[in-house]
Amino acid sequence: MNPPAVVVTGLGAVSSLGVGVDRHWQQALGGHAGIHPLGLFSTATHRTAIAAEVPDDAVLVPGRNLSRAERFACTAAAEAVRGIPNEVLRSPRAGVFFGSSTGALYEAEQFLRALLQHREGHLAPLAAQQNDGPGTAVARMLAVQGPVVCFSTACTSANVALSAALDALRSGEIDVAVAGGADELCETTYAGFNSLRAVDSRPTRPFRQSRAGLSLGEGAGVLLLETLAHAQKRGATMLCELAAAGLSCDAHHVSAPDPDGAAAAIGNALQAAGLSPDAVTFVNAHGTGTTHNDDAESKAMHAVFGARSSSIPVTSSKSLVGHLLGAAGGIEAVFTVLSIVHRLVPPTAGDEPADPALGLDVVIGEGRALPAQNVGLSTNLAFGGNNAVVLFRSLRP
Amino acid sequence: MKRRDVVVTGIGCIGPWGIGMQELSNALQRAEPLSSPIDRRSHYHRRAGAELLAACGPLELSPWLDAQQARRMSLLSQYAVATARMALQDAGLRTVRSDRTAIALATAFGPGAFTEQLTRQILEKGGKAASPFLFTDCVANAPAGQVAIDLGARGPNVTICQREAGPLLALAHGANEVAAGRADVCLAGAVDEMSELSHAILDRFRALARGRGEVPRPFDRRRRGFLAGEGATILVLEPETDARARGAHLLCRVGPTVRAFDPSAGRASFGTGHELLAATLRERIAGTLCEVDTIVSSASGAVHGDALEARVLRAACPTRTNVLVPKAVHGEYGGGTLATALLALRGAPFGYPPACSEPDEALGIAPTSGFVHARRVLCSALAAGGVAAWSVLEAP
Repeated sequence: MNPPAVVVTGLGAVSSLGVGVDRHWQQALGGHAGIHPLGLFSTATHRTAIAAEVPDDAVLVPGRNLSRAERFACTAAAEAVRGIPNEVLRSPRAGVFFGSSTGALYEAEQFLRALLQHREGHLAPLAAQQNDGPGTAVARMLAVQGPVVCFSTACTSANVALSAALDALRSGEIDVAVAGGADELCETTYAGFNSLRAVDSRPTRPFRQSRAGLSLGEGAGVLLLETLAHAQKRGATMLCELAAAGLSCDAHHVSAPDPDGAAAAIGNALQAAGLSPDAVTFVNAHGTGTTHNDDAESKAMHAVFGARSSSIPVTSSKSLVGHLLGAAGGIEAVFTVLSIVHRLVPPTAGDEPADPALGLDVVIGEGRALPAQNVGLSTNLAFGGNNAVVLFRSLRP
Repeated sequence: MKRRDVVVTGIGCIGPWGIGMQELSNALQRAEPLSSPIDRRSHYHRRAGAELLAACGPLELSPWLDAQQARRMSLLSQYAVATARMALQDAGLRTVRSDRTAIALATAFGPGAFTEQLTRQILEKGGKAASPFLFTDCVANAPAGQVAIDLGARGPNVTICQREAGPLLALAHGANEVAAGRADVCLAGAVDEMSELSHAILDRFRALARGRGEVPRPFDRRRRGFLAGEGATILVLEPETDARARGAHLLCRVGPTVRAFDPSAGRASFGTGHELLAATLRERIAGTLCEVDTIVSSASGAVHGDALEARVLRAACPTRTNVLVPKAVHGEYGGGTLATALLALRGAPFGYPPACSEPDEALGIAPTSGFVHARRVLCSALAAGGVAAWSVLEAP
């Protein structure tokens, strides 16, 4: 018996572009980047001074005792589940699969700073200092009763979570999953990436010749996933299918990406979906804007797609919302689903043409129209040599 | 593809007991907590706070990890790499097929000491002082990545952070990779270190047993909190057909895992949803539960956690079984419960923890001692925050 198809029935997004999927899509189509001078903490002792920070006026789920990442996660999840009755979620047949790479590290920094000054900091947000904090907060808010699993595989965390949710739905363990990721800006990751000279002092320019690094961001991206039968039974609006995922590890270097590993993850996703590389109609790339990542990723695409690499539309959402680390896969999955729904690939922000040496068809300037039936890949590469790819496709007529 | 039966063919473990299964078995037979005073030189702790830790102490890892390798990684990654090699050696696997080897590790706090050191650098000396070496090995998945690099394992590689439930969730994830045919070997388990800061924070949440001489007392009426521990336990998982074909010694078969969530739990506490958890457990594996003869309990001495655990186990497993409480000895974290389950399946002897001499009658459950010749073990894990998991391990 074939495993059940899994469909996307809800989306939620929080980032420097604000709160809400519609807002994100409108901003993305206009190529508006939410990368600005950083206000969350002083950048006086750091090498750079910009980031994609969630704006102060963003309306988030309240909670003085919640970390920023928990509030991002809960806000995005609340949007994603808007269309589903509460009782469907309050069941052992509903689960949460989430990714985060920093947990509540910003709040932990505040706490440690206070300790170093012989003061007591605000303890309550540190209940989420472990990286399961945002995902478990979502589970508690929605009162699910099924599996709750949180992954921390650096920048692939959310894609790994989507992959695990897909498995749980296909195995029959659950009917509904809330899956995605959330992360928050903090000094440790900001200084850490800067120590690697991986942060651009200007807004990131993925796949451009002048690219000089990433822009760090924060926020959350969340998907509501259901088995096709469950979605049909409750009359849900189905956006597209989550058809497969592919994971791999470079086993090469802790922080330098290896094209073979990324190519293997793409190949694994295609194999799991039973598709050939020719089926892919667009790629929402990891596209961090670092020299090494964009080189490795383009080589991986050439290895998988061959000559077609130069004609498959490729975009980088990180040019708009920055690099959300453990949440990157979540927000990029949101953009990938929206591309399928609207049959349009949003542009990679900025006017500069793509680096010809990469040999990719990077969407720049205006959105690119897609055919009626689409297969979209969302790729993430991470520290630890981790690679995770999720494959979405249009609902079959 | 038909799902494959999954077996455990090797295990590596390190912890406050030292290195390997025999040392752990000896410690569980003695049944005394492996605690020692924690280093409080950073002054993170409150004056009246917890003072004990089940620390690994200096371990001789050189048979599995040379000094040059060790210098390039955090202590947590060292634990993971050495334990993974130990597990493969135990499984009789000298090499692994790179693209068919997966890794699934759990860690509650990740490389806490590296993260603390890096954050202090930044807070005290400014962002430009951050060490790139500390940064790249302070992500939670660095240990799994280092294991992959060491072994050349290019298959799926995941790190699960789900507090006390992580080890069983990693086991289940790894077993699923093998069962689904995405990997032919998976190294699955847990790796944890307890930094001074993490210990001080746990203590502020009143999670830890307090006061000098205070010990963890699972299911005891005097219980006041758990003993924080550290270590690593990694299992080698293979398809049963492959393992038998190569003549491997089968340690156990991996049975079903049930995963659930208790939404009544607070962010750092245990809930009251025992009826819900027990019902989920019964509904998913009712037939298997009847045949469970031994429970490796997640009871740690946590006041409310042990109460929830007792209620769930009494409701879900009404038949008389052995109940083991290894956290009375090695403390919380590090995956020692997985190793304990394998010892039970080997027929190992278990001592009665003296600290548990006054079982809480309200809980109706008490630890077992003596030789345990288990055929089917239920490993239980209830995490603060609401996540629960139970895995069945069966004699091959």
